[in-house]
Amino acid sequence: MSAEEGVGRERRLAVNEDWAATIAGLVLLVLVLARVVPGWLVP
Amino acid sequence: MAEVETGRRPRLLRAVGGAVVVVVLAALTRYLEQNVPVFTKGTWLGGIAKSVEYPVYAILLGLLGNAVLAGLGVRDRLAAGFRTEFFIKTGLVLLGASINFAVVVKAAGPAIAQAFLLIALVFGFTWWLGGKLGLDSKLRALLSSAVSICGVSAAIAAAGAVQAKREQLAYTASLVIIFALPSIFVLPLLVDALGLSTAVAGAWIGGNIDTTAAVSAAGALVGEEALQIATIVKTTQNALLGVVAVALTAYFALKVERTGDAKVSGRALWERFPKFVLGFLAASVIATVFLESGGDRSVITTVNDLRTLFLILAFVSIGLEFRVAPLREAGWKPIGVFAGATVFNLAVGLGLASVLFAGFGG
Repeated sequence: MSAEEGVGRERRLAVNEDWAATIAGLVLLVLVLARVVPGWLVP
Repeated sequence: MAEVETGRRPRLLRAVGGAVVVVVLAALTRYLEQNVPVFTKGTWLGGIAKSVEYPVYAILLGLLGNAVLAGLGVRDRLAAGFRTEFFIKTGLVLLGASINFAVVVKAAGPAIAQAFLLIALVFGFTWWLGGKLGLDSKLRALLSSAVSICGVSAAIAAAGAVQAKREQLAYTASLVIIFALPSIFVLPLLVDALGLSTAVAGAWIGGNIDTTAAVSAAGALVGEEALQIATIVKTTQNALLGVVAVALTAYFALKVERTGDAKVSGRALWERFPKFVLGFLAASVIATVFLESGGDRSVITTVNDLRTLFLILAFVSIGLEFRVAPLREAGWKPIGVFAGATVFNLAVGLGLASVLFAGFGG
């Protein structure tokens, strides 16, 4: 893997993590507000 | 095809192994945070144990795990599971739910003003200092973006914009973490020593510490309001990342490389915009509407516990990712530039936070 390809890979990974974190955070929020995830389940 | 699959499976297994290490250390952090004050109650350690917050346990356990894994020779193989960026961004989206949207709107003005001024001044100073010390233009761009905007994410975006080498990116990312780690503890101590209000403290921390995870750790050590303001300020800086990355692309294409291929477009701006900022704002709106329409406040406590859990995972990962070796490879000049820029950032950031957030009440 060339140096430039390595940077491109890091950038794509960062973009994917960005979306994944956004979706995970919002889904968890909605699940807690809808009481699907109860308080006792979160340590 | 079979070769690709057999290559992917060990990589996935190693990532899962790394994630298991992070979760185990996070569970240990939670246990220590809740039980050490109980165990030491009534002893001379009781007072200290009560004031030690979860970021301290998480980072120290991460560093300890780092040393043990390095000693066993497996740290680099498990590193794919240490997903600091994912954990911190998920935690920050959840943090949005604990901030009333009215506070976000109220803080947005001073936060945007501070972010613009701080990025312009610190980027300019770092670029100038790097030039004085004869650094390569691409490394100057990476260091300037990392110090002035948001650490590793900014360095990655800048590396893509100026087509930097992978070693330059790895080196800048190491510098960011090496400088961020002590600042998590030093800035809260300075906040106490200077007697700053929580809003000014939060704005100073949010504008100064490079990585978003370290901003959250330092903000949490100062208190809940400081954490909220620090996050709003840092998130605003994050949002400006795309603007700086696109400006760098244009500058390098037109002035440095002279290729004439600048590709400045709305699409390029959107590609580099950190999407978790939208999640943070959406969470604040959802929770505000939920509470305004008579929703149960105790449910937000569960969201806050979940947020703390993700922040702990991120802080453990910071400790696990810590490396000093890359510093030896690049010499003292980039370290000097980074250190000089950090001191400049601290001084200018304190001045701006004191002016823009004076009299700011939750």
